[in-house]
Amino acid sequence: MPSVSEIAWLIPVLPLIGAVLTGLGLIGFNREINQLRKPVAITLLSCIGISTVLSYAVLLEQLSGSPPVEHLFVWASAGNFVLPMGYVVDPLGAVMLSLVTSIALLVMIYSHGYMAHDKGYVRFFTYLALFSSSMLGLIVSPNLLEIYVFWELVGMCSYLLVGFWYDREGAAHAAQKAFVVNRVGDFGLLLGILGLFWATQSFDFEGIANGLSNSIAEGSVPTWAALTLCLLVFMGPMAKSAQFPLHVWLPDAMEGPTPISALIHAATMVAAGVFLVARLEPLYSQFPIVGLVIAIVGTITCFLGASIALTQMDLKKGLAYSTVSQLGYMMLAMGCGAPIAGMFHLVTHACFKAMLFLGSGSVIHAMEDVVGHEPVLAQDMRLMGGLRKKMPITAITFLIGCIAISGIPPLAGFWSKDEILGQAFNSFPLLWFVGFLTAGMTAFYMFRLYFLTFEGDFRGEDSELQNELLTAAGKVLEEEHQNHSGDLHESPWSMSYPLIVLAIPSILIGLIGVPWNSQFAALLSPQEALEMAENFSWKEFLPLALASVSISSLGIGIAFSAYYLKRLDLGKVFAERFKPINNFLSNKWYLDDINEKLFVKGSRKLAREVLEVDAKVVDGVVNLTGLLTLGSGEGLKYFETGRAQFYALIVFGGVIALVALFGVLGTPTLPPV
Amino acid sequence: MLILALNEAVNPVFGMVTEQMGANFPWLSFSILFPIVGSLLVPFIPDDGEGKQVRWYALAIALVTFLITIGAYLKGYDPSQEGLQLSERVDWLPDLGLAWAVGADGLSMPLILLTSFITALAVLAAWPVSYKPKLFFFLLLAMDGGQIAVFAVQDMLLFFLAWELELLPVYLLLAIWGGKKRQYAATKFIIYTAGSSLFILVVALAMGFFGGGIPNFEFTHLAQQNFGTSFQVLCYTGLLIAFGVKLPIVPLHTWLPDAHGEATAPVHMLLAGILLKMGGYALLRFNAQLLPEAHAQFAPLLIVLGVVNIIYAALTSFAQRNLKRKIAYSSISHMGFVLIGIGSFSALGTSGAMLQMISHGLIGASLFFLVGATYDRTHTLQLDEMGGVGQKMKIMFALWTVCSLASLALPGMSGFVSELMVFVGFVTDEAYTLPFRIVIAGLAAVGVILTPIYLLSMLREIFFGQENDELVSHTNLEDAEPREIYIISSLLVPIIGIGLYPRIMTDSYRASIEALVERDLLAMERLNRIEIASTKTSKFLPGIIPTPVIEKTVF
Repeated sequence: MPSVSEIAWLIPVLPLIGAVLTGLGLIGFNREINQLRKPVAITLLSCIGISTVLSYAVLLEQLSGSPPVEHLFVWASAGNFVLPMGYVVDPLGAVMLSLVTSIALLVMIYSHGYMAHDKGYVRFFTYLALFSSSMLGLIVSPNLLEIYVFWELVGMCSYLLVGFWYDREGAAHAAQKAFVVNRVGDFGLLLGILGLFWATQSFDFEGIANGLSNSIAEGSVPTWAALTLCLLVFMGPMAKSAQFPLHVWLPDAMEGPTPISALIHAATMVAAGVFLVARLEPLYSQFPIVGLVIAIVGTITCFLGASIALTQMDLKKGLAYSTVSQLGYMMLAMGCGAPIAGMFHLVTHACFKAMLFLGSGSVIHAMEDVVGHEPVLAQDMRLMGGLRKKMPITAITFLIGCIAISGIPPLAGFWSKDEILGQAFNSFPLLWFVGFLTAGMTAFYMFRLYFLTFEGDFRGEDSELQNELLTAAGKVLEEEHQNHSGDLHESPWSMSYPLIVLAIPSILIGLIGVPWNSQFAALLSPQEALEMAENFSWKEFLPLALASVSISSLGIGIAFSAYYLKRLDLGKVFAERFKPINNFLSNKWYLDDINEKLFVKGSRKLAREVLEVDAKVVDGVVNLTGLLTLGSGEGLKYFETGRAQFYALIVFGGVIALVALFGVLGTPTLPPV
Repeated sequence: MLILALNEAVNPVFGMVTEQMGANFPWLSFSILFPIVGSLLVPFIPDDGEGKQVRWYALAIALVTFLITIGAYLKGYDPSQEGLQLSERVDWLPDLGLAWAVGADGLSMPLILLTSFITALAVLAAWPVSYKPKLFFFLLLAMDGGQIAVFAVQDMLLFFLAWELELLPVYLLLAIWGGKKRQYAATKFIIYTAGSSLFILVVALAMGFFGGGIPNFEFTHLAQQNFGTSFQVLCYTGLLIAFGVKLPIVPLHTWLPDAHGEATAPVHMLLAGILLKMGGYALLRFNAQLLPEAHAQFAPLLIVLGVVNIIYAALTSFAQRNLKRKIAYSSISHMGFVLIGIGSFSALGTSGAMLQMISHGLIGASLFFLVGATYDRTHTLQLDEMGGVGQKMKIMFALWTVCSLASLALPGMSGFVSELMVFVGFVTDEAYTLPFRIVIAGLAAVGVILTPIYLLSMLREIFFGQENDELVSHTNLEDAEPREIYIISSLLVPIIGIGLYPRIMTDSYRASIEALVERDLLAMERLNRIEIASTKTSKFLPGIIPTPVIEKTVF
């Protein structure tokens, strides 16, 4: 029987075919295709569905111990340069394939309910399929350059999807910001790839790692250059995985439809950076300093995201900063030289964060019936509360997600986060401490979200508060809102079903990675799994685990007493006493303002100045010469009527000049030896 | 059965025809003269004065020309050979050394195909032209032949004639059908280009008369001449100015935004799609191929100028508020990669430069066509007067998005491949010192950030956001019509095709480019040997001509 890995190329190709067909249909027969919602949805769902089945088959095959499969063909060549492309299937890829296809499938089913009333339903599904295809292509890429190709393509899909509601000003800006910030990262990534190719004549991961260590040993590449190249390449993951200071695009990207936030900006695309660092592990493991930089960037990001999430009032933005923070954890793991721990957290986080986002989408969907399609209102937690009674499935799954992310055993987040903290404790104790504090903050802000949204009394009908929020956002209450006094209700099956499905791995998936018998590690690196199991001791594990569970419980406790019991007034206890800190946090560390002032305005000003120079100086000189010599009617006449004579004159002059020059320089016939 | 029988009957005839029309058929002369003769017949086409008949005629001629060039490529051209193919030679004025010599190698064949392809689409884009349609289509077809001639001729004097012949139609097309400032733009164009092409003539004469005897301007003859280095440097400088205006190279570019800003959409497509490529082609053909020693000295300058082009034009494009001028500047920015590629001394980089020309020919043409199509609806080119247009023009929005993404070098489209080839070729090339390569690659990569900034801002300002009430109130924003979708799709097929599998294009010119680079590298070695020799004796004999080795000509 032929191996499934031989047809693994179908996994990214199938959704691509679906996307291309519907995309062409949308351009050619827009109106007709837009009416064929069900057929389009079913076609694209079955494309992703088959890919999902194939991915699990591939995963099973890898679990049973088949060797990795790689197929290449020559994509471009010139001179003695040959660039192969193709696909590779190995354990790491198989895990990611299964994860991405499963979540993409669930998000698509969910979107059928969420986007039901949207005019762009078909377009949305097309983009989703296109994204899935690019993301899957990224996973099976055998070399850095092919990764770069798909890296850009997922970025483009993200651009299209964030800007999906293109009549919204905010979405337009967010989409552009996402693309440009990612391009800043890609700038480094591209230069890094080029440099590594120069140093090693290779694009593939093993080749680069071996080549670079050889070159350093030979002395043909200095160590500082190698370090620089590694860090340049790391700029790509920094942008894509929203690491400080390139994280600024991710919270803004929440302007896109919520299923997108779940799929792209929580579970898959933002994890691509972590994935790439995992792929480059053979390279990065040679340079401890690079590891340290990655770990520090990860820790800063982790702390920054959590601290900003503390004060967010927008449900989706809160989750977005939480994602930033969790991605920081993953990078921290990568920096500690523990890619398996990082990948494990990537997998568990994908499950519960996708569920949390889909849950928030369910909430927003319900809120829109009450306050209208205005994100400022529908996503603000000050208008929510008491939703548990109206939408129990959403509430329960959201609660499961909160427990999972807070790191309470035996749910998924505990195992993966604890693994990372354990690694950090051994490598960089200081960074461990920051990560440890962040764990407490995580528990606090997640339960704050939960209590504000689902417990207490419903505050959504308070029109005074609505007006206040709208004015704060600089918008006017539109008349349309008056018509939206519908009832809160649980979302349709197509939306609640994916939530339930995702709740199962959120609870259980951590158990495949328990430190004393990690099947996850056994798949990715059997040797390391053995070492882990051998070195495991309860004496080391328990204190750390206890510490992180207790700080999480503390966070939950504070949130509970402040937002459920309302015994603790955090506004008085904290916000008023430490005003600067509170302002600092609610203004997101002022990073957006700095970004706006320094880069956005700065680049505009620079561009205007250059244009000014172009128009006044460069073109000015031209026009001035024109005026002096032939600007007058006389000059023009010269050109238009007396052209031939003028030419002859110039030619004559030119020849004379040439002859004169030769005279000065000597005979040109003899090559100057 | 019937079909089979018919096939059998037709096949021998067809086979005979194709056999006859193999390599010996004068493909190139035919593809030059056919559109020109066709254009001369335009006045005799019965027409109602609105262009409804003559446009079909023009389309037919342009399509047949396209087919002829394809025939030339398939029947008479072997991509694996490096030398000149499809050669024809007839003495014209033997005393003057002028000969009708045409031929094609890897440098010219892809561009000949591009020319006939873009011209056919431009004719289709000119469908709504109703002001003096006969003259308009006459000029388009005449240009078609002239452009092919520029790429096909193998004689420098003939090249000069073709180069000049092409100016006149453009001048008239600008001056008659242009926008408000058309007189200014057309005059500026003609002064710039005619002025600069004098250099071509002077250099052609100098090179043709070189060595005495009967002047001979044929490329094959010139390539064998042993020009001295200083002579080469002089010629190179002159040609660089001439072609630098055309490409254009900053600061010789200021005619371009004016000309492009005033041209109508079809002319625009030709200007961006083909005319700019004449500069790049000529740089490769003359500067890199015929004057290799001088090229070895000037190459660093080309590269620095390329970087300046990329960054300077990207910034000016960002600040532009006029849509046409914005895209015009973006063309200049993209041409920077051609310069870097030509100066890279590597087969990969030069190949990338060639691909960038083809790729930009397609992408630039598509963007300029879209500008025209948008202007037909909005009647304004000012970005401030647009906004929210995407709600009414969904397909137009989609086409704009795809073409802009192509222009910002998204992988999967041709622009990415060509820029990547230039980057990799330049970086891995040992001709330059490491610091120089690092700085240049770093600066050129800044373009990677700047391009999306101006292109996506442009999209945002045109299509995203709330509808601009004033615009909507007095315009009829209809969505794209089938003809427009067809034109863009025709351009997107090769754009995406090359992006997915670049070898369909690069293999067609690979051999010639490799031979060219080989020649340049040899020349550089010769220079270096001289350099080494002169440094050895420098104690006694201070070098008269300081030959800057490339490695030292930094900053």
